Amino acid sequence: MNIETIRNDFPVLKKDVIYLDSSCVSLKPKQVVEAMNKYYYEFPACAGRSIHGFGSKVSGEITAARKNLANFFSTKPNEIIFTRNATEGINLVANSLGLKSGDKVLTSDKEHNSNLLPWQNLTKEGILHQVVLSNQDNTFNLAEFEKQIEGTRLVSIVHTSNLDGVSFPVEKIIKIAHRNGALVLLDCAQSAPHKELNMRKLDADFMVCSGHKMLGPSGIGALYGKAKLLDQLQPFLLGGSTVRDATYTSAEFEGAPAKFEAGLQNYAGIIGFSEAVTYLRNIGMKKIQHHEQELNKQLTDELLNLEAISLIGPAGPSQRAGIFSFNIKDKDPHEVALMLDQSAKIMVRSGAHCVHSWFNARNLKGSVRASLYLYNTEEECTTFIDAVKAIATL
Amino acid sequence: MICILALVVFGTLSIFSARHRPLAKEAFDCVFRKLTLRKCESGLDLRLKSQLTGKLLRRHPRFAKIIYKNFELLSLAFTLLFLISFVYMGIGGYNYYLYGDCNGPNESGFCIFDPLGSNEKTSSLETGEACPSNSPSPKYLTLANVNLDIFPTYDRGAENDVIFIGCYACPYTREAYPQIQKLLLRDDVNFVFAHFPIKGKNDHLSDILNAIYLIDKQKFITLNDALFELDPLLLKDEDVIMQLVEEIGMDSELVQASIITNNVSAITAAQAIELQKTGLYGTPTVFVNGNAVVGPKPYRVYTRLLK
Repeated sequence: MNIETIRNDFPVLKKDVIYLDSSCVSLKPKQVVEAMNKYYYEFPACAGRSIHGFGSKVSGEITAARKNLANFFSTKPNEIIFTRNATEGINLVANSLGLKSGDKVLTSDKEHNSNLLPWQNLTKEGILHQVVLSNQDNTFNLAEFEKQIEGTRLVSIVHTSNLDGVSFPVEKIIKIAHRNGALVLLDCAQSAPHKELNMRKLDADFMVCSGHKMLGPSGIGALYGKAKLLDQLQPFLLGGSTVRDATYTSAEFEGAPAKFEAGLQNYAGIIGFSEAVTYLRNIGMKKIQHHEQELNKQLTDELLNLEAISLIGPAGPSQRAGIFSFNIKDKDPHEVALMLDQSAKIMVRSGAHCVHSWFNARNLKGSVRASLYLYNTEEECTTFIDAVKAIATL
Repeated sequence: MICILALVVFGTLSIFSARHRPLAKEAFDCVFRKLTLRKCESGLDLRLKSQLTGKLLRRHPRFAKIIYKNFELLSLAFTLLFLISFVYMGIGGYNYYLYGDCNGPNESGFCIFDPLGSNEKTSSLETGEACPSNSPSPKYLTLANVNLDIFPTYDRGAENDVIFIGCYACPYTREAYPQIQKLLLRDDVNFVFAHFPIKGKNDHLSDILNAIYLIDKQKFITLNDALFELDPLLLKDEDVIMQLVEEIGMDSELVQASIITNNVSAITAAQAIELQKTGLYGTPTVFVNGNAVVGPKPYRVYTRLLK
């Protein structure tokens, strides 16, 4: 994995900034931008409708993109639904699964608001929403999960937490859930960009991810669903392309994935997303994962021994993927983030990272989160370490 | 505390730049909340502190530490300084309105409303003659024991007395004269003019002025108007002056004869002695009902001193 070659693909890095906020939005390689531009410059038409040259070209590109994504997640093209992002995917499942009053949905206590609010909202209709509390070190509490799984209709759970980078043992979670007759929806917004995901092996029923966190454009994401389950799901949004035929009083719906993709789609986004996935695959997800862990080890080794630093999550860097979420004693997280930006042009995220519930439960204001990706370097981490140390001594 | 400063700074900047308006709005919200005893939620103070410290951290870590540790204290100090300067600015504005100078009546010093000090400028004595020993200081300016009866006077029997001491060749006297002319248009002003030729050796003009006053008590104002309009370089040219005397309707030969027969030089000399008693240190100096005003002031400054 040649970092310099990779960095050359990201023109924005020439701005002499250190970007450590990839968990929010990753940078985009020029290949992705060029692929999107190609759509706008060369065949800016709609797919699946018009039969002219441009229309056929776009239809072909979208089909290829769906196939590419299916390959990336080791699944079938008809099991990939394009959404705006992971949030829309979760909302689609929440509103299409046909949950009834009394059905129970289990989530963890580290869910992003996107995987919390849709279930909270359904409680108005009598759905039961329960939260599985994590262990002290923020790892998943399987024993507690097993206690709560009984009678659960759906387990909607984050794979890798954007809060601290900890990945849940989803293989075990899925097995336990299935053994108890529950479906599993995985929020892979933070894992899909950083590790290999094999839907067949995992046996998850649903999975969502966002393009903007995995080198792709914003406004595009994907929902994976087992074909037989997608067939049972009722479409959430209705409109163009979701039906084969319609009268004034009735409609004959398409099968998945078309019935879930109402209206004109974000074709440039889909093409860009596919290009991003190709880029990641060409580098190799295992290499990316290893690179991030090495960098996180560097951060952890240098910063964790500082008295003023308190880490969120387990101490071992291998348990936290590419995320180093921390606080500096007596300093506001936003304050630290601004000082990092002003002193060394280091861009990190600060605050509650859309996991307000977790911070509120612990009476914490938030944290500073440095999230690493394939384009980050050891030198950047050294600069970050020095800057954090300088701030810690203020 | 810093929000108050931010409100003023960004508020002022936002008049000219839309980019600063959200910050000004945020600062206003913060100040308003604090004034209504609520917590400021914008985090503006935190942002300002962090950005400032962050910038300093790169080059001067020790200085950054001092700023970071004492930011609230420094904010308080700067805010107090700002409030004090704001009060002073108010006083300055008040003084400028009343006296034409931020620093008070006839005081010297920088004035933001009159940065070039044009309201304060005077022509000072070119030679040591007639320079009062205790000058220059406005506090010694007085009309006590000064015999004003020997100066050209336009007495309307009005309740206000304006004594204008100036010289025809002095640029600041010339600058002030249009305001004096406006004063003379009022019915409630008595006017005394004292020519104090500190620039350009124009003593002869005092003689001509006094001679004309002896011949016709009303004409000296007309002469003043003409002399202040004349190019100062021509003031020494006797032919030009005599022609001017003719133009205002006086017989130049009669005026010249009067200078000799009435011993006008003695009157001029006596006037110079009287003027020394005023503590005069430059022209123009105007006494309005006994209050001294030095330098060319806006019209409102003179009228404010009228009864």
